[in-house]
Amino acid sequence: MRDSSAKLAVESRDGGIVAVCFLAMASPCEVLIETGDVERCRALGMLAAKEAWRIEAKFSRYRDDSVVSSINRSCGSPVEVDDETASLIEFSAQCHKLSNGRFDITSGVLRRCWKFDGSDRLPSPAEVEALRALVGFEKIRWEPPFISVPSKMELDFGGIGKEYAVDRVLAELVAQFPAAILVNFGGDLATNRAPASGPWRVGVERPGSEREAAMLLELSQGALATSGDTHRFLLRDGVRYSHILDVRTGWPVPGAPSSVTVAGGSCVEAGILATFAMLRGADAESFLDEQGVRYWCMRS
Amino acid sequence: MQLNKSTTPLRLGLMAASCALLGAPVARSQVAPDGEQPLLIDTGLLYYKEDQGRVQTIEPIVNLKKNYGDDHVLGVTLTFDSLTGGSPNGAIPSRKAQTFATPSGTSLQPVSGVPQTYTTPSGQVVALLAKVTLYSVNPGQLPLDPNFHDRRIAADASWSQPMGLDTHASISGHLSNELDFNSAAVNGALSRDFNGKNTTVSGGFNLELDRINPIGGAPVGGTDYIQLLKGGNKSKNLVGGLFGVTQVMSRRWVSQVNYTYDTSKGYLTDPYKIISVVDTTGASTGYRFENRPNTRTRQSVYVGNKVYLGGEVLDLSYRRGSDNWGIKSNTVDGRLRIDLGNDVYIEPHARWYRQAAADFYHLYLNQADALPTYMSADQRLAEFRATTFGLKLGIGFDGNNELSLRIEEYQQKAAQTSSSLANLQGLNLNPGLKSAIVQIGWRYEY
Repeated sequence: MRDSSAKLAVESRDGGIVAVCFLAMASPCEVLIETGDVERCRALGMLAAKEAWRIEAKFSRYRDDSVVSSINRSCGSPVEVDDETASLIEFSAQCHKLSNGRFDITSGVLRRCWKFDGSDRLPSPAEVEALRALVGFEKIRWEPPFISVPSKMELDFGGIGKEYAVDRVLAELVAQFPAAILVNFGGDLATNRAPASGPWRVGVERPGSEREAAMLLELSQGALATSGDTHRFLLRDGVRYSHILDVRTGWPVPGAPSSVTVAGGSCVEAGILATFAMLRGADAESFLDEQGVRYWCMRS
Repeated sequence: MQLNKSTTPLRLGLMAASCALLGAPVARSQVAPDGEQPLLIDTGLLYYKEDQGRVQTIEPIVNLKKNYGDDHVLGVTLTFDSLTGGSPNGAIPSRKAQTFATPSGTSLQPVSGVPQTYTTPSGQVVALLAKVTLYSVNPGQLPLDPNFHDRRIAADASWSQPMGLDTHASISGHLSNELDFNSAAVNGALSRDFNGKNTTVSGGFNLELDRINPIGGAPVGGTDYIQLLKGGNKSKNLVGGLFGVTQVMSRRWVSQVNYTYDTSKGYLTDPYKIISVVDTTGASTGYRFENRPNTRTRQSVYVGNKVYLGGEVLDLSYRRGSDNWGIKSNTVDGRLRIDLGNDVYIEPHARWYRQAAADFYHLYLNQADALPTYMSADQRLAEFRATTFGLKLGIGFDGNNELSLRIEEYQQKAAQTSSSLANLQGLNLNPGLKSAIVQIGWRYEY
């Protein structure tokens, strides 16, 4: 149990905004609220942090006591899941269908042979093939509320967990205190509306340009999510292998952008679109153009 | 949910899936400056009423604002005003009953078969045109023309857009029509940001052309009222400029300083106003049509501040105005917006105004004195103080939509309200004004 009180930092920002900052999901998180009531803000920030930690704990594959871990240990036996987990599995199933199989929450096992540490150590085709046999959402038996995951296969909600947390936290805070609120978990963010002083000014970092001035966007409603991380890649013979894996081959998607930021109605929607775009590799931009969403692509 | 014909099945599927996951309707994303914004419709209905049977107005207004993206904004406003009630004609109360002709009276030519006469205060009997309507005022009462009515229709359109990185331009046009007045105006402004948008310098110009068609014709200024000497239509124009600087003073305080200058030329007189002429005892001997100069130059300096005090926003401003008619004015205006939570706010408002009289303002004229070139008894040019107190209540819902109610009360007190002349003793010659405004507003995003 974390010592919650020690983990929150409250500071005031321009234009009558108070920010509460904490760490969750391995990212710096902040909640910005348009209010003068600092104590209220601290209480709301604590609510946000607790919810973020709860979701992290529940769906983390690193924790033995998480729901995901108990599913991954089940060796094929049906596991009954609660409503929230069922919604996430259902959502993942929809995304799997909509992406023609490219988005797959069972693809986590491939990380066992792919270590994206910037080195030139590529796995052998045999290693990749062995693990690819353990990937495929169609191999899962999903009969709500029971999920059966075959032995050695794993579920990994890493691709949607943070965005889901952003949307959930925003909804909870707005229900308690309907001021202008922005929830930002490490660059995946959402807001209900703009403060009286004008739209939220959001900086989107351009990976590769290090700490250089980020691109500044003005957001009055909706969400932004970013996919991509330039530090997670492999480089061999001048070819850059991004960490986005094509589950149909087990190899990195060729020509993927180094980062994609998408604007959507919810963080979850924006995040999935960003992920789908990365999975299209070289076709990321045309895919996003087709969807008619606002996006910003970075290629290094 | 905003759907257009280009929403792909994949996007629809995702929206539905996200909806199911989050259990809430998926909103649109609004990212400026690239994105197109929804149409903002602001409507209001205003009711204005003065005390003592004076003017009342009903004014519906509609304002449409559309941001096409990249800060290209089109605004259109339509206003309709209907005014009725009594308006002071400029004469002072008297110990005796007074009779006046309505503005439509145009000449003294008698019409055969329809005898109608008018007796001046000094006993002279004058024959009048049949269509002249007379009205009487009881002793001691402030003379009001009870037939005052007007209706006004106005349309405004504006366009603003960025011109390059730090520059912004806007242009707007205005047209209005009243029973006796037509106006066309154009306004342009340019602004430029410096210091990382902490400083903004702006400049603007303003041009207005008016045609005045007074009911009954424009009286010849300064002439004797009973002669009802009236001419035709008139016009005036205005040219003005503005220069301003807006500066972010601190994290919570934005300040603005503006200087404006304008010149009007043409018919600036009020064709319906007269001024009483009294003898040494204060008894009325007649009236004159008012006469104002045909040029007016005005300047003003305005300092405004917006301060964020925790949950409240304070708007505090001061304006100092002066013109070549001798009118100097000072205004202090304050507004405090208080958030009550649950998307509800209240906004109390207070304004203090003080003005010195125009050089040619006279409460009345003395018959013994030489007739001045310019004269007016219009209380709006007198020395007076005014205060306004108001409260606005706003209830927000569904994003940018808002319902509001505003109530304001205005009180105006003139400095000069009495005379030491025998027949005017005890009479309040300039009772001042009290009025109230109730306005309902509805802002909706479409």
